[in-house]
Amino acid sequence: MSKNIHICKLSDIPANGIKDFVLEGGEKVLIANFSENYYAYNGNCPHQGTCLAEGFFDGAVLTCNKHLWQWDITTGKPIGLAEAPLESYQLEIEDGEIYVRKANALKMAELFRDISTSTQDLLVKLTRREEYEVGSVLYDLGDLTDDLYILESGRVEFELGRDERTSAAGFILRKGEVFGWAALLEHQPIRIAQAVCVEKSVLLRLNGEEVVKVLATDPASGYLVMRQLATLITRHFTSSSEQ
Amino acid sequence: MMTGKTLNIQVNARNRAYTLDGTSDDKILNLGLSNAIDLPYECGSGTCGTCKARLISGEICDRWPEAPGRKFLKPKKGEFLMCQCAAKTDSVIEVESFVHTMEAGACVPGLITGRVNSSKLLTPDVMSLQITMDQTFDFDAGQFMLVQFPEVVGFRGWSMVNYERHAKTLDFVIKKKPDGVLSEWLFGNNCEGVEVELYGPLGNATFYSRLAKNILCIAGGSGIAGIMSILSRAAQDGYFSQYSGDVFFGVRTMKDAFFLDELAAFRAECGEKLNIVIALSDEDVPASAQIDYPQLAFDNGFVHEVAGRHMEDRYQNVRAYLAGPPPLVNGSIGMLLRARVTTDNIRYDKFS
Repeated sequence: MSKNIHICKLSDIPANGIKDFVLEGGEKVLIANFSENYYAYNGNCPHQGTCLAEGFFDGAVLTCNKHLWQWDITTGKPIGLAEAPLESYQLEIEDGEIYVRKANALKMAELFRDISTSTQDLLVKLTRREEYEVGSVLYDLGDLTDDLYILESGRVEFELGRDERTSAAGFILRKGEVFGWAALLEHQPIRIAQAVCVEKSVLLRLNGEEVVKVLATDPASGYLVMRQLATLITRHFTSSSEQ
Repeated sequence: MMTGKTLNIQVNARNRAYTLDGTSDDKILNLGLSNAIDLPYECGSGTCGTCKARLISGEICDRWPEAPGRKFLKPKKGEFLMCQCAAKTDSVIEVESFVHTMEAGACVPGLITGRVNSSKLLTPDVMSLQITMDQTFDFDAGQFMLVQFPEVVGFRGWSMVNYERHAKTLDFVIKKKPDGVLSEWLFGNNCEGVEVELYGPLGNATFYSRLAKNILCIAGGSGIAGIMSILSRAAQDGYFSQYSGDVFFGVRTMKDAFFLDELAAFRAECGEKLNIVIALSDEDVPASAQIDYPQLAFDNGFVHEVAGRHMEDRYQNVRAYLAGPPPLVNGSIGMLLRARVTTDNIRYDKFS
């Protein structure tokens, strides 16, 4: 797993304010203070990469100044117009210094948002973390729908159809994005698209049946996951509408 | 006029791909929008960077390599602005967002031609321009058009002032910009009768009577154009018999103010649920202003600050429309967020 990365002193963060820092390798981390608590997120807006430190922060809600996407600073969850959560980091404070560590992709996944911590931990135990080279085919048309996938890093593209008659069917590039969700559905035993890693990618894999079994032991969490799955599927098929 | 080579463009979005048949004359953004594909954009004129895309295969031609919006791009990754680029060959491009088709009933943009019917100076550096089109045209109140004059290459985004279904004419307001090539030309020449190309309608800061909310409009200078269109539609539909309207129009001094007669007429027509305040940033309100325009209110200060003072505790069920230079829009957004107005009720089209 990733190591703790030193960011700054506690005193560097303005009270109920935000400040961003660039890590080695160019990644930008935003540290926010709200009351006694501190939070760490990726410093670029998940929408179009706008610098979030230039946005509006009222001590509780962060608003990107480009298209007014908003997030609850305590959780990184999207509010209002925002269509994606903030990429969160685990934050630790030691001797007045702030350190961050990358969060588990499953805990960031919108599909598993708001479920009980115990169920989330059970799901984390089911995950197999695998690394794939460019060009790896994760599944192909006609394969069995065994696993559900969560992207940790990299990029996966989908293609519908066979041979000469294929067409692009979207792509996944944000940490915590879920695909292969047919593994959670009944009567959907066969893959209807091909999924290929077009960059070196790290993925968390979970067996669909095992996920469903875990959710069956916690129906409240199971209900939330299925509701969030319906939202996720709908988003791929509906037209835009007046907000 | 379509004279370019016929070609095919595939747009890969997060959720699916779209295939567009076009020509090497078509800017990719316009080609997508004209096919009712709701590609991401805001200014449509090379400034804001929202229509950024990535070239996967094929060749494109950048019609405006100096476009200010290019500062948001990573050219080494093949990024380009869809509003300024046309494909030279069959191409595959990628847009890093979910893209859907436009909802039924949306005014799908297209290229039309028209002719300047009349122009008039409203102040020394603001003019109104009326364009008569070669066909009738539908748009939503608050939308804008991209307009190109044969004398000056490049499309400029201007909001419509008027509102009507099946419009034959469009009214615009143009601010004279220092070093602005087109505005210099417009202010220095008689442009009546000149043929122009228009692309639109564009923009999401639109008003519909079925909105059923109180409306708050904050505009600076020529930004009042789109607000006039919103007021026009609201007045036609008797909207202010049920909902309130608060309009704040910021100018530097009384000499820079325009449309005051038209705004006073809206107030006279719509009644006391419509409040219109003229905010003067650079001078105290002259005593004559209130005498000359008894239907309007006047105040002193930056327009979003004036709006903040007048609106205190009156933000319930409000939809806000903002239009004007970036400091006005950003200042107004900050004020509205502090007042707990939700972001889906803050509408503006950033032109920079």
